[in-house]
Amino acid sequence: MVPTRPRSADPARLRAVNLRTAAILFTIALVFFAGIIVSHYLGGVAAGMSVLGIAVVLYLVIAIGRNVGSGK
Amino acid sequence: MSSTPHTIAPGEHALDHGYAHHPGGIIRWITTTNHKDIGTMYLWFSFTMFIVGGLMAMTIRAELFKPGLQIVNPEFFNSLTTLHGLIMIFGALMPGAVGFANWMIPMQIGAPDMAFARMNNWSFWLLPPAALLLILSLFVPGGAAAGGWTLYPPLTVQAGMGMDLTIFAIHIMGASSIMGSINIITTILNLRAPGMTLMKMPMLCWAWLITAYLLLAVMPVLAGAVTMLLTDRHFGTSFFNAAGGGDPVLFQHVFWFFGHPEVYIIILPAFGIISEIIPTFSRKPLFGYASMVYALSAIAILSFLVWSHHMFTTGLPTAGILFFMYATMLIAVPTGVKVFNWLATMWKGAISLEAPMLFAIGFLFLFTVGGFTGLVLAIQPIDVQFQDTYYVVAHFHYVMVAGTLFAFFGGIYYWIPKWTGHMYDEKLAKIHFWLSFIFFNITFFPMHFLGLAGMPRRIPDYAQQFADWNMIVSIGAFGFGLSNLVFLYVVVKCIRGGEKAPAKPWEGGSTLEWTLPSPAPYHTFETPPVVQ
Repeated sequence: MVPTRPRSADPARLRAVNLRTAAILFTIALVFFAGIIVSHYLGGVAAGMSVLGIAVVLYLVIAIGRNVGSGK
Repeated sequence: MSSTPHTIAPGEHALDHGYAHHPGGIIRWITTTNHKDIGTMYLWFSFTMFIVGGLMAMTIRAELFKPGLQIVNPEFFNSLTTLHGLIMIFGALMPGAVGFANWMIPMQIGAPDMAFARMNNWSFWLLPPAALLLILSLFVPGGAAAGGWTLYPPLTVQAGMGMDLTIFAIHIMGASSIMGSINIITTILNLRAPGMTLMKMPMLCWAWLITAYLLLAVMPVLAGAVTMLLTDRHFGTSFFNAAGGGDPVLFQHVFWFFGHPEVYIIILPAFGIISEIIPTFSRKPLFGYASMVYALSAIAILSFLVWSHHMFTTGLPTAGILFFMYATMLIAVPTGVKVFNWLATMWKGAISLEAPMLFAIGFLFLFTVGGFTGLVLAIQPIDVQFQDTYYVVAHFHYVMVAGTLFAFFGGIYYWIPKWTGHMYDEKLAKIHFWLSFIFFNITFFPMHFLGLAGMPRRIPDYAQQFADWNMIVSIGAFGFGLSNLVFLYVVVKCIRGGEKAPAKPWEGGSTLEWTLPSPAPYHTFETPPVVQ
């Protein structure tokens, strides 16, 4: 088998990759924690719509922001 | 040969045997970021909590030795059953599994340490204060939480200050678990040695990767549930408070969405350990490596779909009952695949019965008994009869104790030569196994009979008809408790000295840790090994 993602030799790059992985995982935990409370507070449908809405807005902000940032 | 279908090229491992540049004494243990030190601390913490929870169990069994109230009052008895469950699950079993993860994952994937070494230290040091909060809750006005480890409202909404300490302790332990999970997933995904593809990883690493994802998904849910409990208690909300229009059954749904995957969080690392031991002592590669990985994944996914089988008596709609009944039974399929593969690995192997293998075989036999009684409980009409009886207590102790704890004992005997550099006393370890096996069954097998006869759990007194079996159960429990002194003696003796362990004490071992000298140097794999 071809090695998948061998350890990076560059410590700075490795650290950046680790931090990105951790940030994604932490976000999952945060969404579950807040989601369970919000869904009981607002009701399942309202919470679902909110999560979807926030996700779409975040996606747009990040996607547009990255484009603007890279000067494209 | 072991569980991984790979061969190891002799790499140039940067080995640093020196401890001199690290602080000594207590400061070393407080400030350490070394995965081996932290793994050791997790394992000792787990054992300490096991003793504390075990002493609570001994008190419970002393009270139940004969009918009538003799040692503790009923309120304190309820606190004991509650804290016994919480301490054993959050204080003993989960940290024990994390101890194995810390020690073994970096060494098995060829990483120098965990991805976030300082966070690793923090994850551990959150645990002692949390455990202290739990234990101290016994001494506050109103006593400790007494509504069972499941923390069901309305009892937990009405309970005293001890409940607040319990909620706080759960928050802290949850934070520790989430940080640990992030660390483990990041380490496995990003720090594997070149050539170590996911499908070449040892099974312990696979088991922990899946467990860490499970933890990440369900611990925040538990934290959310107890946060809502806290706001119901002190901030005027009514999530679960029926007096304010809340729904106590809602808590059960949220709790068991955490609680059932939690069972797998505890047992999957044990599966990983067993999957390392059996091939080594059968001197054969693990049978069906890929199917073992898929079975682990299937168990993890299905574990999210079965939570309401803990709530069959709460008045679920018929369609819901049928769904959860069949989904629960479905878990037997991937679990059966694993048991079959372990047996197939042993089939025609050159088996030798050292202590780790004895515990692995004990695990196989007793965990299967626990699995079958779980299938019985999955059938709703039967579950309605057995709900909250000693049958349920017998079932989950066969899974948690004979499953996870036996795997931990086996794992410790398997890797302790690598950890300490000494061979353990094989004769005493075998005595420990047989004492554990015999007394475990004397303790927990008769509980099936008591449950079938209708004895409810979590009661300090019982009808005369249950007296004989209860006396036998109590005798078994004291024997099982004392047998752990043998274990402690073997471990301490091994740490203090003994026959020098070679780099590879088990001829069947083929994972990366066996390429290192024994004891494993303080720093390992700073130059990644090459896995072919």
